[in-house]
Amino acid sequence: MSEKKKNIFSFVTDMPAAMWSSVFRNNLPHTDLGRSKTSFNNFFLHIHPVKVHKHTLKPWFTMGLGLISLFLFLILVVTGVLLMFYYVPSTTQAYDRMLDLRGSVAFGVFLRNMHRWSAHGMVAAVFLHMCRVFFTGSYKKPREFNWVVGVILFLLTLFLSFTGYLLPWDQLAFWAITVGTAIAGYAPVFGEQIRFLLLGDTTVGQEALLRFYVLHVAVLPVIATTLIAIHFWRIRKDGGLSRPETADLVESGPVTATAEPAMAFADGINVIEKKRYGIQGLVRGPFAKVGNVPDNSVFSYPNLLLAELFVFIVTVLGVLLVSAFFNAPLEEAVNVLHPPNPAKAPWYFLGLQEMVSYSAFWGGVGIPAVEVLILLLVPYFDRGTEGVGRWFAKERLLANTLFMTFVVVNIVLIIVGTFFRGQNWEFASPF
Amino acid sequence: MKMRLSLAIASLAILVVHGFVFYQQFFHKWESYQTSYFDQARTLAKTDAEREALAARSPKIEQIIVTQFGSTRVDRCTTCHIGSDDPRFKDAPHPYKAHPYSEALGDKEVGGKMERRHKFSDIGCTVCHDGQGRGLQEFYAHGEDEFWTEPMLGYVTQENWKPEYKEKLKGTEFMEANCAQCHTEKNFKSTPMVNKGRELFTAKNCYGCHRIEGISNGTLGPDLTDVGKKWNLNYLHESVVDPRANSATSFMPKFNLTDDEVKALVIFLKSRRGFNYAETTLDRYRATLNKSQPAVSDSPAPTTPVVADSVKLGEQLVNERACAACHKIGEKDGGIAPDISFEGLLKDDPWIVAHFKDPRSLVPDSIMPTFGFTDADYKSMSAYLGSLNKPPALGNAQEIYQNLCIRCHGDKGDGHGMIATYLDPYPRDFTNAGFMNSKPEDRFVNSIKNGVGGTSMPAWGKVLSDDQIKGVLAYIAENFTKEKRGEIRPRNVPEQNPVAMSIDSVARGESIYLTRCTGCHGRKADGKGANSLDILPRPRNLLNSTFVNQSTDRRLFESILYGVQGTAMPPWIDYGLTNNDVGDLVNFIRSLNQGKKDPAAMSLLVKGH
Repeated sequence: MSEKKKNIFSFVTDMPAAMWSSVFRNNLPHTDLGRSKTSFNNFFLHIHPVKVHKHTLKPWFTMGLGLISLFLFLILVVTGVLLMFYYVPSTTQAYDRMLDLRGSVAFGVFLRNMHRWSAHGMVAAVFLHMCRVFFTGSYKKPREFNWVVGVILFLLTLFLSFTGYLLPWDQLAFWAITVGTAIAGYAPVFGEQIRFLLLGDTTVGQEALLRFYVLHVAVLPVIATTLIAIHFWRIRKDGGLSRPETADLVESGPVTATAEPAMAFADGINVIEKKRYGIQGLVRGPFAKVGNVPDNSVFSYPNLLLAELFVFIVTVLGVLLVSAFFNAPLEEAVNVLHPPNPAKAPWYFLGLQEMVSYSAFWGGVGIPAVEVLILLLVPYFDRGTEGVGRWFAKERLLANTLFMTFVVVNIVLIIVGTFFRGQNWEFASPF
Repeated sequence: MKMRLSLAIASLAILVVHGFVFYQQFFHKWESYQTSYFDQARTLAKTDAEREALAARSPKIEQIIVTQFGSTRVDRCTTCHIGSDDPRFKDAPHPYKAHPYSEALGDKEVGGKMERRHKFSDIGCTVCHDGQGRGLQEFYAHGEDEFWTEPMLGYVTQENWKPEYKEKLKGTEFMEANCAQCHTEKNFKSTPMVNKGRELFTAKNCYGCHRIEGISNGTLGPDLTDVGKKWNLNYLHESVVDPRANSATSFMPKFNLTDDEVKALVIFLKSRRGFNYAETTLDRYRATLNKSQPAVSDSPAPTTPVVADSVKLGEQLVNERACAACHKIGEKDGGIAPDISFEGLLKDDPWIVAHFKDPRSLVPDSIMPTFGFTDADYKSMSAYLGSLNKPPALGNAQEIYQNLCIRCHGDKGDGHGMIATYLDPYPRDFTNAGFMNSKPEDRFVNSIKNGVGGTSMPAWGKVLSDDQIKGVLAYIAENFTKEKRGEIRPRNVPEQNPVAMSIDSVARGESIYLTRCTGCHGRKADGKGANSLDILPRPRNLLNSTFVNQSTDRRLFESILYGVQGTAMPPWIDYGLTNNDVGDLVNFIRSLNQGKKDPAAMSLLVKGH
């Protein structure tokens, strides 16, 4: 009491600190305990473990692809919400709104560019992320199900991008969706019903626009957000990112208790002696024991956080640069009677369309369905535990070769469909 | 440390990009135009109050929202063209320049000041000019973007338009197409080009093939009711001057039109937008109620017989209805269809009437449209054509060829006469010695004398004597075929089809047909198989009943078994077809032509495809 009396205005001077501590609970940390508390107490940071393995931070191991996907998703959410303020999902107004965005809305064209290019970027980033996970064998036990969640997220990304493609209601949108939904119609037995369910009609029209809009801004983002949360939660529950068996071997010999403790004298208190472990110590994985194993981990704050921030800034920078110099396409308003020749689906479906040009059922439904099924089942077929956590591990030569073939074939098909197909889907040289 | 440094650099880069984007988004060209306009107007202002008002104005987006004309228009043109209604700026450069006043637009002087008939605040800009009202950048607003289907009429041509058309598609007269959206009167004096185009639409016989709601009822070509809404000037121009440029299978002829006529037609077509502002929705509803009696006002209505004489009336109708837009009649020549200057000698009355009513019933691949005239009109027109029986001046064989044959068979005798592209089957190529010398002379005499049914080759029997025919054939042999005729080996083929006609035989014939013949003769047997476009002479249309029914079994057998020399038809005997197989084929082909459209026979062909 007496101390407080010293300064009658202390409630004013103390206010910033009081607010800070009420919001963030602790000061900017200078000690290991503080660092762990920062990660642990902050809602946005507590998704991180307090400490991460050094291997996780190796830039060339993950190339930040998962994070890039997440950040693109966040950019998409923000720009998407802003675009929603101007957009009307009506066949009579949608295109005019696009013209307004381009012509008179402040930053309108820029928002649209960011949204468009981030969407394309996200499809690519998610696919590359999947490749990374495969080539490093990271889908193996105990991460099998997270791989499955990831494959579903990849499909969701495609579907999100596809549903957004229709919304500008220009020729590009209309015919791409007409082609895309026609592919869905080739599914056996229920093909036509699926198509009708998607379009709400027999052709692409007002009902389809409304359905795609609702799917695009409400249904799919909610599902995607949920699955992303599960995806991240499982990363932690599965013991963090995969790493090679050798990452924790101590070269100097067998494990001894003399190894450096993980969390020694934080805040001047011998943590090990006190042995007060929180529930976080129960995380599954071989290295839950604190303090008595060789420890190759570092504190998430600031090591992991800085790395994440760097990936974020580079991602934003890339999107900004592309958006500043390349405008999102806007073609003629929809003309139902005048299909462009050739009418092409969005680029990531051009591989499908290329296959459809050989066989409607096999190209559009059969092969893609088998591909997705195989992708989903990969971790249950390939149960060997060798070669986890290393790029192109020798032990996984067969699996990697098969997957590389799958990747190359699909990319080649997309390139052929994008650049080498002209009128009537005949071969045409882009040069 | 390295991480922190790269973070700082990346953040700086983001800042720079933001600066660029902010500059892009906040410093608009139109703002500087407006500021400059305010400055200029201030120096021109006469009162202090005016100056102050101008000084108080700051740049903002100007827009005119027009709801009276079709769907709502938002015209922001005045954001840049801010002096458009300020007469002091009449000589200023663009974009400050004031819109000129014009007597033709109905602008009037009232109390020493000009007053506009068409007030910008009421009708906006794009109603007349086209362009993209919502755009604020010149490139988009003027419609230079190739994806904008309505660039400013008469001012802007888009980059992807054909260079040779671009200059022809500029000029204020193109805006008449938009005047006609409200001023729909047939002879509105301020839209001379639309009026001219409308007249040409009849005079060049466009009406025969094309439908335009309220004007014509043609069915052979595309409906042009809203063609102006669908296509830009470039496409319309191209479709008029070069119909096959966009669709290789189009059979629309290239008409002989002057540049001015093309322009008038393009402007007229551009003015056809299906729905114009002068029409109310009630008008349109009424039009649908009256659809059973098509209100065709422009195409020549049945003229009341002012002339008692049927021949005279027919002559009047033939002139009014622009038959000479394609055919040659005396001096007039459309250069597209056969010469009918002496039709009375070539065809008889029933044939002409039947041909009028349905040209394709007699010449299945004719491009002549079916006109919906009345029977009485057909009778008169046929009477007039029948009266054209004065034989043309003939001389020696060469002159006969020049006068009668050259229009189709060409001056080189190669079948590429001036109207040949519009004929199907294509005229015979006399320079093809392989064919010419493989057929007996009798056949050619017969073709000339009696014509070839189902084709455009008329019977010249009433024009030429037998000697003259022989003379022409000799002239052809000497000048075009050139190769000497050898002896023709008689083929060993049956005179009559040895296989009796039966359902089984037709079915066998069909299966042979489907495996051997469809590549050229087509799955529909109409002669339009996948390879047909690469072949001259073209494969026969086997559904051409007139032609098939006049061909003897012997001729069919010979053509199939031993091929047709000088054409793509191979000798099928070399590919294993026996007399019996050919008999089945002949039965199949005959079954397609039994009766006009024998549903049973057709179903045999159609089933399973």
